[in-house]
Amino acid sequence: MADPQLKEKVEELIAANPVLLFMKGTPEMPRCGFSMRVVQVLDTMDVEYGAIDVLPALQPLREVTTEISDWQTFPQLYVNGELLGGADIVEEMFASGELAEALGVEQPAEAPQQAAPAQSPPLQIE
Amino acid sequence: MIAVALPGATVEVVDETGAGDHLRATVSAPQFEGISRIDQHRLVKAAVKERFEDGTIHALSVKTEVAR
Repeated sequence: MADPQLKEKVEELIAANPVLLFMKGTPEMPRCGFSMRVVQVLDTMDVEYGAIDVLPALQPLREVTTEISDWQTFPQLYVNGELLGGADIVEEMFASGELAEALGVEQPAEAPQQAAPAQSPPLQIE
Repeated sequence: MIAVALPGATVEVVDETGAGDHLRATVSAPQFEGISRIDQHRLVKAAVKERFEDGTIHALSVKTEVAR
């Protein structure tokens, strides 16, 4: 059972930020390869977004998002109050143009910069 | 497990690290028709939930498509 106060706080944040990313680390210093990939896509979209580092309260936040969105893993991108997805979904929707549509922006011409080189797999903290 | 949960689905799993715990699954299923990507992924993750809970899998990348 999630902490009701934390859950309320998270719901307020999701309602207050049209584009909100729950991630491991910060946009400037992502602490997980999956989170970094979503940051790269959002930066390419040139869209304003809020970012929350989940690492200081990973387990409590996991319990909250499980109740709110039936989703346990981070990153999580919320657009207009709805969970859009994690790194896989965000990248797929970016490639197909659905992300630009969901965000209400033009599809950028350039591809997001390449993530970490192939030989270093994304960091998974757990 | 995925194919059992989603009858008629085509599932391809790639072992990304060779250790068997970081997997990439491509799932094509008729059940995905008309539902959002996040719901498609929820179905796949629900199917393998046990394997996450017992620690067999640490990371699973999912790609879904609607089977026609």
